[in-house]
Amino acid sequence: MTPLHFEERYQGEWNELESALDRLLNRKKATKNAPPVQGERVAMLYRRACEHLALARARSYPAYLLDQLERLTADAHQVIYQRREFGLAAIRRFLSVDFPRTVRADAGYVWLSAALLYIPTLIIGWLVYRRPDLILSVVDARTAAMFDQMYSQSATAVGRAAQGDWVMFGFYIRHNIGIAFQCFAGGLFAGIGSLFYLVYNGALFGAVAGYLTERGHGPTFWSFVVTHSAFELTAIVLSGAAGLKIGHALVMPGRLTRMQSLVEATRNCAPVVAGAAIMLLIAAALEAFWSSASWLPYAVKYSVAAGCWIAVLSYLTFQGRSAS
Amino acid sequence: MLDTVVAAETPEGIVLELHPAGLPVRFFAFALDWIIRLVTMFGVAVIAGLLGGVGMAFWLVFLFALEWFYPIAFELGRSGATPGKKTFGLKVVMDNGLPVTPAASFARNLLRVADFLPFGYGIAIVSLLLRKDCKRLGDLAAATLVVHEPHPAPRITLDKVEPVAPVRSIPPRDQAALVALAARAPTLTGERLNELAALAASVSGDQGHAGNAVTHRVLGVAQWLMGRRS
Repeated sequence: MTPLHFEERYQGEWNELESALDRLLNRKKATKNAPPVQGERVAMLYRRACEHLALARARSYPAYLLDQLERLTADAHQVIYQRREFGLAAIRRFLSVDFPRTVRADAGYVWLSAALLYIPTLIIGWLVYRRPDLILSVVDARTAAMFDQMYSQSATAVGRAAQGDWVMFGFYIRHNIGIAFQCFAGGLFAGIGSLFYLVYNGALFGAVAGYLTERGHGPTFWSFVVTHSAFELTAIVLSGAAGLKIGHALVMPGRLTRMQSLVEATRNCAPVVAGAAIMLLIAAALEAFWSSASWLPYAVKYSVAAGCWIAVLSYLTFQGRSAS
Repeated sequence: MLDTVVAAETPEGIVLELHPAGLPVRFFAFALDWIIRLVTMFGVAVIAGLLGGVGMAFWLVFLFALEWFYPIAFELGRSGATPGKKTFGLKVVMDNGLPVTPAASFARNLLRVADFLPFGYGIAIVSLLLRKDCKRLGDLAAATLVVHEPHPAPRITLDKVEPVAPVRSIPPRDQAALVALAARAPTLTGERLNELAALAASVSGDQGHAGNAVTHRVLGVAQWLMGRRS
């Protein structure tokens, strides 16, 4: 069969597929008021076009013919294998099953990440509490003075007016999510980046906490941070865990190639990072509107904080265990 | 082939050819996106400035969303590309040619943090230049590719050439080469076309000869191979 015969014989089918694709892909040249596209028919035409492409390649038909068939099959391939995973049902499933489950599946990394964040916090916190001048080895004198002033008991709403709540919300979102995403992305450098960011942020937090407690600003400081840290620190731990997992996959790929192992690990821990991002949004909202309200009695703040910690930890531990 | 082509096999057993986009075009696309973001940021800042404190907060949240979710939102849209990429005919797809999945888009864009190091997307640039499939770290981890949207190839338009029957049998590979030559004929200079046609002159019984008449007959054979008969 010559190329022209071939083209003449099957052009009708190709045109039909093309016009169906025009409509499915919402292209401009799509004909209006045409009958609805039949899914089965498109699938059949797609398989036919695949056959024709294979034949045309085997027979070395001219480039324009191969080209037409290649574009046709590539477009149809995209339409037929597209993924529809948006919508409320997908989000509900993500929050009620997928997210806590993937976190539990990587429990080892989560514990390691928590240790990397909290152990420096405790050690540096204790050291700075015993010798407050050590804070200067972590931050400079001006920043230390700023913290001092921010959390001094005379300050109204932890250093700012109520009108500034919204501004701080915006600021916290950018700043905190930035930290968490760094902990994740650092995993690409064999996990060393994640390791560094976790330890660094833990040490920084410990230093500030130890310093402020020693200076007598403990009540203001702790009542400020304790609620939103349930979400924020946990989210940083989770992002760090995802980073460590990627790093581990790169360093010890097992029976996969390094690249396959990296791709696999990234796909597996994407839900963890997405969940962590949602937790950070909650943390930013709490930090801006709840934590800063200094007129609330400490008893209320500490009970709500305890509630938040219990809720977050039991959500990650128990949610979605029974779902199929 | 000198082309950078990535082959992706479909379940139907055919191979799709993907053409990864290199550094220059991706740089231009990124620059355009960057300008679009800058202008949007500025516009929103002007409006937010009028609203005072709440406006300021809105602007900061907007800034955050623009920074992290601008590419994700567009890549998961219908065109699979940010406006900058779309302008330069680029598109983000999975390694197997399928539309990019939400998890992959999320991963490749968050990993920009790693690609950005040590400064100005340094690692991404090195990775793009070293790899044949032009992937940056985010693309590697998310198994995505940035590809050129395909352009249609020109049709063979040799209507003025009369078909000529070949004087000998021609093996399939040579047939393909002849037809490809005929397709390229309009883009070649006359002298070059004559040179090339002289190499294939044996198909019309003109071995050792060259010139416009020989070229005409060789192209006629290509017409004949395409299936045209006078």
